[in-house]
Amino acid sequence: MSSSANEAASRASAVSSMGQTIPTDAEVGHPEGVRWGMVVDLDRCTGCQACVVACQAENNIALNEEQRVLERRAKTWIRIERYWEGEFPNAKARFIPVLCQHCGNAPCETVCPVWATYHNNEGLNVQVYNRCIGTRFCANGCPYSVRYFNFWNPEWPEPMNNQLNPDVTVRTKGIIEKCTFCVQRINRVQVTAKTEGREIRSGEVQPACAQSCPTSALVFCDLNDPESAPAQLAEAEAGRSYTLLEHFGTDPGVIYLKKVDPHAEIHEDEHVHAGAHA
Amino acid sequence: MQYLTALLPRITLKQALILGGASAPPLVGGAGVLAILLYLMAAGGTATPAPEQPIAFDHSVHAGDAAIPCEFCHRGVGSQAAATVPSVEQCMFCHSVVKTDSPQIQLLQAHWDTNTPVNWARVHRVPDHVRFVHAPHIQAGVACETCHGDVASMEEVKQVRSLAMGDCQGCHRENSASLDCATCHK
Repeated sequence: MSSSANEAASRASAVSSMGQTIPTDAEVGHPEGVRWGMVVDLDRCTGCQACVVACQAENNIALNEEQRVLERRAKTWIRIERYWEGEFPNAKARFIPVLCQHCGNAPCETVCPVWATYHNNEGLNVQVYNRCIGTRFCANGCPYSVRYFNFWNPEWPEPMNNQLNPDVTVRTKGIIEKCTFCVQRINRVQVTAKTEGREIRSGEVQPACAQSCPTSALVFCDLNDPESAPAQLAEAEAGRSYTLLEHFGTDPGVIYLKKVDPHAEIHEDEHVHAGAHA
Repeated sequence: MQYLTALLPRITLKQALILGGASAPPLVGGAGVLAILLYLMAAGGTATPAPEQPIAFDHSVHAGDAAIPCEFCHRGVGSQAAATVPSVEQCMFCHSVVKTDSPQIQLLQAHWDTNTPVNWARVHRVPDHVRFVHAPHIQAGVACETCHGDVASMEEVKQVRSLAMGDCQGCHRENSASLDCATCHK
């Protein structure tokens, strides 16, 4: 869809140091096949954090106590980054939901010594928990800081330990976890479609964050299927779109939409005050 | 012990006997250790004894002699993840009239009368980090006995295949099914 996806497709097959041929994106499945992705409309996001809560509940993420947050070891697979623009009383809050970008050229995948994270043929950056040995190379390699290390075994206070999602592993101490685009939901829909002998319907798959978003700022879609989220993908084509840190060439699967405010005045000193407080 | 067996490569009992026979004579002192290791390799994962069931349900009578299809009782198998164990009510479809004088059926009748489920012991269980869904396997035409063995001749059902990752992968590879980690791991 975007020019970056086409670039990825045109990459020639590379040969690794082991002598094995590394398949291109086109060979492993996309862009012709499914490439799961998300379009995030920042003009719609109100920073309500419903996605964060929904994700926490869906994916068995342990509760973040105050101490964990202070230690910067809190886990939120999707987080709302908040930026302040201007000075009080003319301040504006800007929000960016940041989740795993499911990069086409993911820096995290190449550094894993045990292949616990890899790219599957549907454009997902998959984390195999029971293969992870916790080197944390991937978390250090990720420019979006969306990979989280389990410093403790997760615990839930009674009775919340009874609300765990049986379709998602409870990750133990010592391994990395991250947003999976709710792969359990994708799988469920795929199995249902297969059992009923049909293709997946457009918009049938919804991760917890997109489902809970009250303003539909998060729209999950197949980036290769223009019928999957037509309006959002058309806008992404029309030039309101960008990807996070796109100069890194990671080819993210999450596309952000933001109308550039022509009246915004940018002063040098404002950059001092602007910063992530998430 | 189960961790040790999980680490050892899987071999058949016949392979264990051949290996043991060939290598034991020169290793007189270590032969005992070797024998234990070979036994564990042959036994790993597959030598699961049949668990004791609250009611002596005999599959060889139902699936064998009476030739009732598996999916008549395990009704979820074609459409959902779990094959499902039938409810007491489903047993009573027949057993309210069939063999009501048998002591085992009277146990079942007691469950029916007191509105309590039968606490069957689970025989097959994949680890928590694996998602196994029966439906697509049945859709693909995999016969029940491919994984569960010849249940129709078993008085007590026991696990006959290791159902370890390599076991699943071998079949997936032969049948060109998905080998993507995310297909089974959750």
